[in-house]
Amino acid sequence: MLKINNLSANVDNGNKQIINNLSLAVPAGEVHAIMGPNGAGKSTLSYVLTGKPGYEVTSGDVLLSGESLLDFSPEERAAKGIFLSFQYPIEIPGVPTMTFLKTALNAQRRANGLDEMGAPEFLKKSRALATELKIKPEMLKRPLNVGFSGGEKKRMEIFQMMMLEPNFILMDETDSGLDVDALRLVAEGVNKLRDPKRGILIITHYQRLLDYIVPDKVHVLSAGRIAASGDAEFAKKLEVEGYDAYA
Amino acid sequence: MLTHDINLFPSRRDEKWKYSDLRSSLRHLSDGIEDENKPNFLLPDGLTLEEVDCEFSSVKNISSALAENYCNKAWKINVPESFKSDQSLIISNLNSGHSRIIININTGGCLSLVEYYESQSNSFINTNIIINIMDKGELDRVIFHDDTQETVRISSAIINSESNTKITQNAISFGSALSRIETLLTASGENLNATINGAYLLSENRHCDMTSNIELLKPNCHIRQLVKGVVKDKSNGVFQGKFHVHRPAQHTDAEMRHDALMLSDRSKIRSKPELEIYADDVACAHGNTIGQLDEDVLFYLRQRSIPRAEAEAMLTEAFVSDVFYSLKDDQLQENILTKIRGRL
Repeated sequence: MLKINNLSANVDNGNKQIINNLSLAVPAGEVHAIMGPNGAGKSTLSYVLTGKPGYEVTSGDVLLSGESLLDFSPEERAAKGIFLSFQYPIEIPGVPTMTFLKTALNAQRRANGLDEMGAPEFLKKSRALATELKIKPEMLKRPLNVGFSGGEKKRMEIFQMMMLEPNFILMDETDSGLDVDALRLVAEGVNKLRDPKRGILIITHYQRLLDYIVPDKVHVLSAGRIAASGDAEFAKKLEVEGYDAYA
Repeated sequence: MLTHDINLFPSRRDEKWKYSDLRSSLRHLSDGIEDENKPNFLLPDGLTLEEVDCEFSSVKNISSALAENYCNKAWKINVPESFKSDQSLIISNLNSGHSRIIININTGGCLSLVEYYESQSNSFINTNIIINIMDKGELDRVIFHDDTQETVRISSAIINSESNTKITQNAISFGSALSRIETLLTASGENLNATINGAYLLSENRHCDMTSNIELLKPNCHIRQLVKGVVKDKSNGVFQGKFHVHRPAQHTDAEMRHDALMLSDRSKIRSKPELEIYADDVACAHGNTIGQLDEDVLFYLRQRSIPRAEAEAMLTEAFVSDVFYSLKDDQLQENILTKIRGRL
C-alpha cells in the first residue's frame, strides 16, 4: 500500500536534513506505529509524505498503491487518498465547519471523477458520524476548530477522516492532549476504519494510544531513519526502556 | 466656475489625494467630465422625489465643487418625521457625469439607502450626496462599486447628524481605473452611534480608495469603523480614515481598523489612519494590518483535497465577510457575499 524507499528530506532550504535514507512499507489492511524521541523526524515524515511546502525530498521515493506521490501537489495526494490527522489542527475563523467539510468532500470526489455529493446525503452522513463521535450539531455550525478544546479538535480530525474515507491514514500525535474518555472515542473511530483495503500509520510518543489501537508493527524512528522494528509487544518494551538504545 | 482644465483636478501633490491621482487618471479619459447625470430612483412608498436648484453646500470637497459647477439641478428626497419602511431607497444609473442628491431625514425617520454604482460606460462619474439626519433619525446605507476597469468614479457623501442618531454604512468596491468612496461625517449632536464599514476586492490594475473623515463635535458618540481590503495582480488599495475629536466631544468611544490582505507581490496598499483628539476623556483607537494568507492554513485545506486556488478563495471570503455581519438585511448580505464570491 504505502512504500517508502530510501527517502531523504530537508527542511529550511536544505539547511537541515531530517529524514535520512528511510525505508518503510505499510501493507493494506495493517496498522503500523512509529515511535521515537522528540526531534527524531516524526512530524517531518508526515509532512514530507503529504507534500507540505518547505520540505524538500533529496532522494528516494514514496509510493501509494504503486504510484509515486512525490510529483503531486498536497491536494492531489489528498485526493489519491492520503489523509493526515494533524498534531495541531488549524483554526480557521470565518469558515463554518460544514462548509469546509462539504468543500473538501466534493473536491475529493471531483478529483476522482465522481459526482458531487448532494446536500441531503451529505447532511445525513455527517449527522450520523457526528453522533457516533459525540460531536454536538452546534460545533458543526461554528468556524472550523475556532474555540474548540484540544479534545474537540482531535475528534474533529477523526470526524473528517470518517467523512472522507481515505485509503491511507497518517495520524500525527493524535493522542496528545486527550483525556482517557476522548482517547477511547478517537480509538474507536480509528478502529472502525481498519479495513483490508486501508493502511494506517500512527505516529506517537507514548504507548498509551496503542493499548486502544493495537498495531501490527511498531517502528522506532531515530535520527531520521527506522532504527528498529517489532510487534505490538515491542511498544511496551520501548515504554519501559526508552529510546536511548536506538539513538 | 471651473472649466474643463485638467490641471485644476487634484493630483498626488494634494494631501487628500496623494494616493489617488485624479488628475493623471483623467488624462486618459474625458467622457463625462462636463455632463450632468440623471440617476434612477426607486422610492419606498411614502417618499417623493423633488427637483431643486443645486445650491452650494457648507462642507466642501472636490466632489461637491464639481457637482455645483456642472449640475443645474439637485435631486431631493425628504424622509418625513418618524418614517419607517421595509423598502429601501435604491439609487442607480449613476453612469456618466455629475449628480447631486440631497436627503433629509426628519426627526425619528429611518431610511434604508442602497446605492448601485455600476457603470459600463468608461467615463468620469461623480456623485455627491448630502444627507442631513435630524434628532433620533437613522440611516442604513449600502454602497456597491462595480465598474469597468476604465471608469473613474468618485462617490462622496457629506453627512450631518444631530443628536441621538444612528448610522450604519457598508461599502463594497471592486475598484476601477480610479474609484473613491469618500464619507465626510459631521456629528453635530450628541449620542451618535455609527458603524462605517467597507471592503474592497481588487484585481488587474484596479484602484480603490476608501476615505473617511469623521468630525465629532459633541459628547457621547460611539463610532466603529472596519475596512478590509484584498489586492491581487497589480491593483492598488487605499485607506484614509480620520477621527477628529473636538474639545467638547467628551466620552467619545471610537475605533478604526483597516486590515488588508496582499495576494501578489506587485499589488499595493497605502493606509493612513489618523486620530486628532482635543477632548481629554475619550477612548479612541486605530489599528492597521497588512498580511498574506497563512501557508499553514492553506496546507491544512489542501491536505483535505481542496485545490490551492479554491482554498485561497475560501480564506479570502472568510477574511472580508465579517465586515458585512452588521447588515440587517439578510438578502442584501447574501447578495454582497455572492458578488464577492464571484470575484474570488
